Parts: sequence; C-alpha cells; structure tokens
Amino acid sequence: MNDLLLLIAVALLSASQVLQKVGASRRLAGTRKPSQWIAALFSPELIAAIACIVGGTAIWLAVLYRMDVSRAFPFLSLTTVVVMAASRFLLREPVPLHRWAGVALIVVGITLVASS
Amino acid sequence: MTAARARWLGVACLVASIALSALGQLAMKNGMRHLHLAGAGEIVWPITSPPVRAAVFWTAVGLVAYGSSLLTWLVVLVRYRLSYAYPLLALSYVLVYVGATQWPQLLEPATPQRTVGTLLILAGVALVSATGERAER
Repeated sequence: MNDLLLLIAVALLSASQVLQKVGASRRLAGTRKPSQWIAALFSPELIAAIACIVGGTAIWLAVLYRMDVSRAFPFLSLTTVVVMAASRFLLREPVPLHRWAGVALIVVGITLVASS
Repeated sequence: MTAARARWLGVACLVASIALSALGQLAMKNGMRHLHLAGAGEIVWPITSPPVRAAVFWTAVGLVAYGSSLLTWLVVLVRYRLSYAYPLLALSYVLVYVGATQWPQLLEPATPQRTVGTLLILAGVALVSATGERAER
C-alpha cells in the first residue's frame, strides 16, 4: 500500500515537472510585463502543475509519516529517471548518453545517502 | 532583453532555485525540531512562548524559500531543457547534507556511506552538465 502510494507520488511529481516545462515554454517565454507573468501562472498548464506538486507532496508526507525516510527516499529518486524519460519521449528533447550516465550516478548516490 | 542578460538571468535563477530549495528543507526541518521540543514533556507551551515562536518562524522561512524556489524554477525552465535542468536540482540534496551536518542547530551525524553517496550525486551532476549546454528550449 505504501509502495503504491509512493509510486503515485513519483508519478504526480514527475507530471508536475513536465507540465511546468510546457507551461514555461508556452506561457512564460517571451513575456515582458508582470501582468503577463500573473496570467501565465494561472494558465491551465501551470495550474495543473501546481495541483500535481501539491498532491504529490501531500502523499509523500503521508507516507513519510508511516515509513522510514531511508526506505522512502530512494523511491523519490525515481522521479529523476521518470522526468528524463518524459523529457526524451514526450517533450522530444535530445538526451546524450553521458547525461543518462550522470542520472544513474545521481540515483545511486541518493540511494546511498538515504539507506545509511 | 539582450542575449547576455538573458543568459545571466537563467544561470542566476538556476543557482537561486537550487539554494532556496535546500534552504527551505533545512528551515522546515528546524521548524519541526522546535515544534517537537515544544510538544515534548508535560508543559503545554503557550502560542507566544519561545519554542512555538521559533517553530512558526522557521517553518514560515522554509515555506517562503520553497515557494520562491518554485517561482525561480519556472524561469529556469523557460531557458533550459527539462532533461538538462532537472538533474541539476539534485545539487540541493548535497547542500541539504552539508547544511544538516554542519548547521549547529541540527548537527545530524555524517557517515562515510552518506558522504560517498553525496560525492556520487556531485559526480552525476557534473556529468549531466558536462556539455555546458547552451540555452535553448
């Protein structure tokens, strides 16, 4: 149950990053005036991004209340992998090989920090 | 906005977002620590007592820092690819580790395994940023 909730949190937090990127590119790029920034913040993409981050964070905190952080935290590092995959396959960003290697190191590092 | 100024703004927001994210985590942790102190024992602390005030203060600092981190992050995403910028956020884990083990109010224990993990994260971030990607969307 906790593991399932953690995976849902990872999905929501990853979705939030993709939505933030889409919102930033579509709504925020090229804006000049503060009124335009406010309008961008209330665009559907960024509202959805904020909803995802609030939901994901709430689930994360609820799980953390019942589970050791050392066990929960490595799940969260999955977010990095999911965001990379989404950047590559949904946003069609080119991702060079060494960047995947860097992400692998980050995931191993986070797991080490969390599991001691 | 000139290209040079836009580039400067992108880098500044990236650095600010990473630092604010780490500051937010450390301040919220410190706020929770004060709340724990206030909640321990028999005494019910009044709202205006020092431990409760410290808890509210540090939690508020943490939330403001966290919110500011999210806003500066949007500026980062205008300028950089998600697959480039997102892994760099892991630098905030390193800052949190250094802060949590060195800040006299927290002083969490540093262990060899955690230090090695932190160094691996640093190496990974260096590898991700190795190409020195130019700003593009």
